[in-house]
Amino acid sequence: MKKLPKYFLFLFLGSLYSTNLEPTFLVLNHFDKFLPNADSSLIENFSNSTFEFDSTFQILFEDIDNHENPAASHMVTIKELGEKYQVNYILFNRIEHINDRFILNGLLFNTRSGGLIHRRKIDLKQYLNGQINELNMWVGNTVGQVEKNWENNRKSILFSDPEEINYQKTPRGAAIRSLAAPGWGQAYSGKKISAGLWASTESSLSIAAIISFLNYDKAAKSFKKNSKLYHGTNDEKEVANYRTAAENDWNDHVTFSALAIAFAGATGTGWVANSVHAWIVGPRAYKNLYQKWDPKSPNTTG
Amino acid sequence: MKCHRGQLIIILACLVVYSCTIFEKDFDNPVDFEANEEKGIGAPTLVFYPKTQTKTTSDSVIVGSFIVFNEDSTKPFAGIHLQIEFPNTLLELDTIKPGLFITDTSNATPLFTYTFDSINTIDIYAYFLDTLKKDLEGTGHLADLVFNPTSTGSDSVSYDLNACEMIDHEDNIIVLKGDRGAEVIVQ
Repeated sequence: MKKLPKYFLFLFLGSLYSTNLEPTFLVLNHFDKFLPNADSSLIENFSNSTFEFDSTFQILFEDIDNHENPAASHMVTIKELGEKYQVNYILFNRIEHINDRFILNGLLFNTRSGGLIHRRKIDLKQYLNGQINELNMWVGNTVGQVEKNWENNRKSILFSDPEEINYQKTPRGAAIRSLAAPGWGQAYSGKKISAGLWASTESSLSIAAIISFLNYDKAAKSFKKNSKLYHGTNDEKEVANYRTAAENDWNDHVTFSALAIAFAGATGTGWVANSVHAWIVGPRAYKNLYQKWDPKSPNTTG
Repeated sequence: MKCHRGQLIIILACLVVYSCTIFEKDFDNPVDFEANEEKGIGAPTLVFYPKTQTKTTSDSVIVGSFIVFNEDSTKPFAGIHLQIEFPNTLLELDTIKPGLFITDTSNATPLFTYTFDSINTIDIYAYFLDTLKKDLEGTGHLADLVFNPTSTGSDSVSYDLNACEMIDHEDNIIVLKGDRGAEVIVQ
């Protein structure tokens, strides 16, 4: 019984010590582009936490999604790293840039259990210091310390009111352009290949229709001329010649008439289809909608 | 706007379709044996050319008489008798001239004569005589009949096929299988 107060004292001190203990992180950053202030930003913004940095484990977590249980995929390694660096958590951050977007893939492991305890994947359009801001928000979430200005920074590129969105390009605009000139709507939507295909197809069909019509017109005029000459002579040889010529012209004018109508029909149908296609592939809202970055907006990222 | 666009497309479509009109084949020259066959008239055929003509009372009406053979089955002939009837209430006979076909290249007129009953019937007799050839062969011009209009109206000049006759140089009859008249309109 005499040992009891001593036991409670140890327990109290232990719990007091453990609650005040700063969480320690081993940060494994893997960025496809150099971010100069990434490490210092974490240190400055999370003074209650301790960070160790090591970028030698680049490919360690590449295949995490291929495991049957991703959360327990690297338990042994995590524990070993925890013991080696004497940290509570391992934070793996990977940032990839794709055109004007970047993808932040964050993994948080607990070194005591070795398991994956938190994960975040963000696909965003780049904004000023966006990568650092998103990194801060991700780490802030893990340690429960998210600053308002980080959130405001992100919100500054997002439309809060959809009514404010002004669509510069619309499917309707694409359809109208394609109705005016085949392929224009597709080109307007950035579909260069289909624009070229539509334009060349419609041009070919139109030219074929025009050529057929001109041949029809030529044959029809020749038919009328030869018919008149046929009726205007009583010379048997001339009659036979004009009749043969007129019959050939008649056959030609029937053929070219059918071709002209077929090509004109195909042109018209294709024209409408091209306009419908332009509407279908027309520019629409894609993923998130962003407004133009306002340089006057305060930048509070590291 | 949509309505106008639709109308425009319909108008364009109509323009394309109706601008490609298919003309009717109308091959009906009496000198054309195919045209006669299409009308069910066999060859050799006695025809007039033109098949129809419109004149005023001050004009002369010239009607050409032709013999038309199928070019694949011509028969040589040497003599011909034509009996032609004309509407004497509308026309009066002026002249009859031999056709180019039977005068030969020398422009001679070996034998060409006619009788007129002073009413409305003309009988033409022609016989081909040449120093080198005995016969004629193929489609050709037999005679030109010149009439003067006496009143206005329309009527036709025609052959009496039963009285018409065609023979070769050995006096064998060549059967005439058809005839076509000519319409004369006097205005």
